[in-house]
Amino acid sequence: MMKLRRGDILLIGIVLLCAIIFIIIRAFPNEVSDESHSKIATITVDGKIYRTVELTAEPQEIKVQTEDGHYNLLKVHDHGIEMIDADCPDKVCLTFGFITNPSQTIVCLPHRVLVEIENTNPKDQGDDLDAVVN
Amino acid sequence: MPSSIDTSTAMLKKTVMIAIFAAVAVVLSIIESMIPLPFSVPGAKLGLANIMVLTCLYFLNGKDTLMLIVLKTILTAFIFGTFSSFLFSFFGAIVSFVLMYGMMRLGRDFFSLISISIVGGIGHNIGQLTAAMIIFKTSKMFYYLPALLLTGVVTGIFIGLAVKYLISALSKLTLFQGWAAHE
Repeated sequence: MMKLRRGDILLIGIVLLCAIIFIIIRAFPNEVSDESHSKIATITVDGKIYRTVELTAEPQEIKVQTEDGHYNLLKVHDHGIEMIDADCPDKVCLTFGFITNPSQTIVCLPHRVLVEIENTNPKDQGDDLDAVVN
Repeated sequence: MPSSIDTSTAMLKKTVMIAIFAAVAVVLSIIESMIPLPFSVPGAKLGLANIMVLTCLYFLNGKDTLMLIVLKTILTAFIFGTFSSFLFSFFGAIVSFVLMYGMMRLGRDFFSLISISIVGGIGHNIGQLTAAMIIFKTSKMFYYLPALLLTGVVTGIFIGLAVKYLISALSKLTLFQGWAAHE
C-alpha cells in the first residue's frame, strides 16, 4: 500500500467538501419545484427546438429523428421524462435516468440532442411575483 | 559518432514507448466500455486510459505525453465515435493533461500520483462539461458536477494506485531504465 501524502488528504478533503456543499445548496429549491406538476420539456436538436412536450402522468413515447438518420427515443411518464433508447456510440444519454425537475437535463452529445425541463405553472409564477413585490 | 547514435537510439526508444502506450490506452478504453458501472452518473467513467497518460507523464516529458493523448483520442474516435464526440473527448483530455502536467512539475513533493490522477479525472469531466456548455449554450449540465466530483475521487484513487504499481513494475524493465530519472 502506498502512503498518502499530506497534500493528497487535503485535496481529497477539499473536493469532497465542494461536492457536499453543492449538493446541500441544491437540495433546497428543488423540493419546491417538485410540488408543481405542470411542466414542459423542450427538446432541442443542434440548437434548434425540435419539439416541446407536456410532462403528463400518462406514458407517451417521443422519437427524435436527427437529420443524418439517427434516433433518440424518449419516454414521458409520471410527470417526468427519460431517454430509453438511442443509436449513439457512447450511450451516455441513457445514464441520465428519469428526470423530473427543471435543474436536470438529458444530453446526447453525439447527436447534439438536449432535453430541458421548464416550469410553466402560472400559479408558481404568481407566487414568485408576490414575493418580489413584498 | 557515438553521441549521435545514442541520440537516435533514445529517439527510437521514445517513439516505441509512445506507440506502445497509445496502443495500450486504446485497448484499455475498449475494455472500459465493456465494464458496466454500478452507478449511473452521466459522464462518469473509470478512466483506465488515464493509467497510460500518467505513466507516460512519469517516464517521458510533457511534449511526448501530448503526442500520446492526440494519438489515443484519434484512435478511440475512429473505433467508437463520431466527429463531435472526438472533439468532446479531446477537450476533456487536454484540460486533464494540462492540470496533471502542472501538478507533476510543481507539486510532486506535496502530492502523490493519487492526487494527480484524481485531478486528471475531474479535469476531464470539467473539460467535457465546458465543451458541452459552449456547444449547447446552457450551463445546466454543471448540475451533474457534484456527482462527478465524488466518482472522480473514487476512480482517481484506484487509477493512481494502478499507476504506482505499473511504474514500479516497468522500472525493472531494461527499456525503461534511465527514463525514470524524471523524478
